[in-house]
Amino acid sequence: MTNTQKMQSAVGAGVLLIGLALAAGALSIPAAAGYGGVGPNFLPWVVAVSLIACGVLIVREALTGGFRAMDPPSGAERAYWPAFAWVSAALLANAALITTLGFILSCTLCYMLAVQGLRRAGGQAAGRPVGLAIDAATGAAIAAPVYWTFTKFLGINLPGLTQSGWL
Amino acid sequence: MDILDALMQGFATAISPVNLLWAFVGCVLGTAVGVLPGIGPAVAVAMLLPITAKVEVTSSMIFFAGIYYGAMYGGSTTSILLNTPGETATMVTAMEGNRMAKSGRAGAALATAAIGSFVAGTIATVIVTLFAPVVAEFAVKLGPPEYFMLMVLAFTTVSAVLGKSTLRGMAALMVGLAVGCVGLDQISGQPRYTLGKPELLDGIEIVLVAVGLFAVAEVLYAAVYEGRTAEARNPLSKVYMTPRDWRRSIPAWLRGTAIGAPFGCIPAGGTEIPTFLSYAMEKKLAKGDNLAEFGNQGAIEGVAGPEAANNASVTAALIPLLTLGIPTSNTTAIMLGAFQNYGIQPGPQLFTNSAALVWALIASLYVGNVMLLILNLPMVKLWVQLLKIPKPQLYAGILIFATVGAYGMRQSTFDLLLLWGIGVFGLLMRRYDFPTAPVVVGMILGPLAEAQLRNAVSIGEGSFMVFLQRPMSLALLVVAVAIVVLPRLVRAWKRRK
Repeated sequence: MTNTQKMQSAVGAGVLLIGLALAAGALSIPAAAGYGGVGPNFLPWVVAVSLIACGVLIVREALTGGFRAMDPPSGAERAYWPAFAWVSAALLANAALITTLGFILSCTLCYMLAVQGLRRAGGQAAGRPVGLAIDAATGAAIAAPVYWTFTKFLGINLPGLTQSGWL
Repeated sequence: MDILDALMQGFATAISPVNLLWAFVGCVLGTAVGVLPGIGPAVAVAMLLPITAKVEVTSSMIFFAGIYYGAMYGGSTTSILLNTPGETATMVTAMEGNRMAKSGRAGAALATAAIGSFVAGTIATVIVTLFAPVVAEFAVKLGPPEYFMLMVLAFTTVSAVLGKSTLRGMAALMVGLAVGCVGLDQISGQPRYTLGKPELLDGIEIVLVAVGLFAVAEVLYAAVYEGRTAEARNPLSKVYMTPRDWRRSIPAWLRGTAIGAPFGCIPAGGTEIPTFLSYAMEKKLAKGDNLAEFGNQGAIEGVAGPEAANNASVTAALIPLLTLGIPTSNTTAIMLGAFQNYGIQPGPQLFTNSAALVWALIASLYVGNVMLLILNLPMVKLWVQLLKIPKPQLYAGILIFATVGAYGMRQSTFDLLLLWGIGVFGLLMRRYDFPTAPVVVGMILGPLAEAQLRNAVSIGEGSFMVFLQRPMSLALLVVAVAIVVLPRLVRAWKRRK
């Protein structure tokens, strides 16, 4: 079995697992159909059973020569996981810090972390102090006007570090 | 002349300074997201959905329509100038457009794309103006069984016909339907798949799924797989069409419109089929030197026709959206979500209950087309500058906008975690070639379809036979089955021969 086939089978197994999980969840939804004939658990069961079937068929495709009607995916053959870690760190740090640091600072940090990953993925130099300073400035230059536009003009609540609405 | 009166009323609303400003900002933003790789109209509208909490409904729908439209114009610029085809809608434009650009005729290709989009967009808007009220009047007569079958038809085409693999399309659709199930059941009030989390009782926000699948997944994909992918940019030449270009373009625009508009009208969706059909037709009709240009220096008909077909079908897709409440693409699905945020359900009643809104929206399409022509022809050089933004900064910047959309909707950090999770899911979908449109359409249309199904079955007194007893729903069912089964039968039959 080739590596692609292994990965594709894993994807199929994932679909199958989602289907099983949905089926398990559907068990706890009452059938109470009233006089309608179709209750709140009908669609969940349809979806769960279909996904299980799709999962089985996808695994079968993967094992019998790979996915059908599939173009080779764009980009590199091999994944560059460090970039995944950087971008994920950016998003998760943002989720963790946005209420304490406020939108502008938290998003600037998110921007800096993501740029680090994307630069490394492209083989560019990253992590030099000057570069970091430029990234911080760029990130803030995007985040601040976005924050002001959305909070001041469009009246959307975004968390700030202060109550002033400017930071 | 009811329609004309209504349309004039619509214009009166649409050209008020505030609405003109919204339309203009929408068109500018739309063109920008169309030009920028890695971000499209669906995600732009999704990120801006939080504004529905504050901005008045007519203004925000005009704004979203501007984005929807503008992205079509901007998208062709990128597909002609960059060698990486962007979204599927502009893939066909890229085939000949790229060749033209390589042989120094980028300007002519851009001009025929922009003017063709204008011609097709305007004709299709006229079609929307004339036919949408008729369809709405007809649609009032449809009952739940027919509606349910129309939605099944939309699901089938979005998942089985438009993608490459029916199996992966179906899996994606089911995931979308499952996401749509999360939250309180709308009829019985039962919580479904909430895992005891209060955040999930309201369901999963459209913004999260759209922004996660399109924006975050795109950023992750670029980082993980495309860091080393080099992009070649074609040089821009003077935006000008020779008399010969005009003679070749005009019939191609009209033919493209004639092919695209009907495809948009039916609740099946997709611009791939009409654009490919238009391309094939232009190639077939071309003779002599013109034919020789196809696949070599690039034939201008091959840009003009598909581009017109694309815009015509995108515009005409507003008919099923407004009159039936059935979205057939990512962006129209999210626009349906925007309507729902205002408590408005698009459908046949929209033309009577929210007539002012609908006509202002339609009038704004005429206005938007003119704005976009001006924005895209003389100012194309400005937009091309956007292609110079380096990738790391562009993609990292997208994450900031993604945060606004995801967090602005409900102010919940839980949503930001979910956004990351959906992004990772989208990364896998992208790598293993699962289509994303079925997820979004399934998620938004799923709850509506479920409600129609349950109403239909109660009409049938608990029997599913109701779908077979009514001629119209039976016909729709047959069509839905046929579009899945027929191509397979034909293939099997050919193989046996």
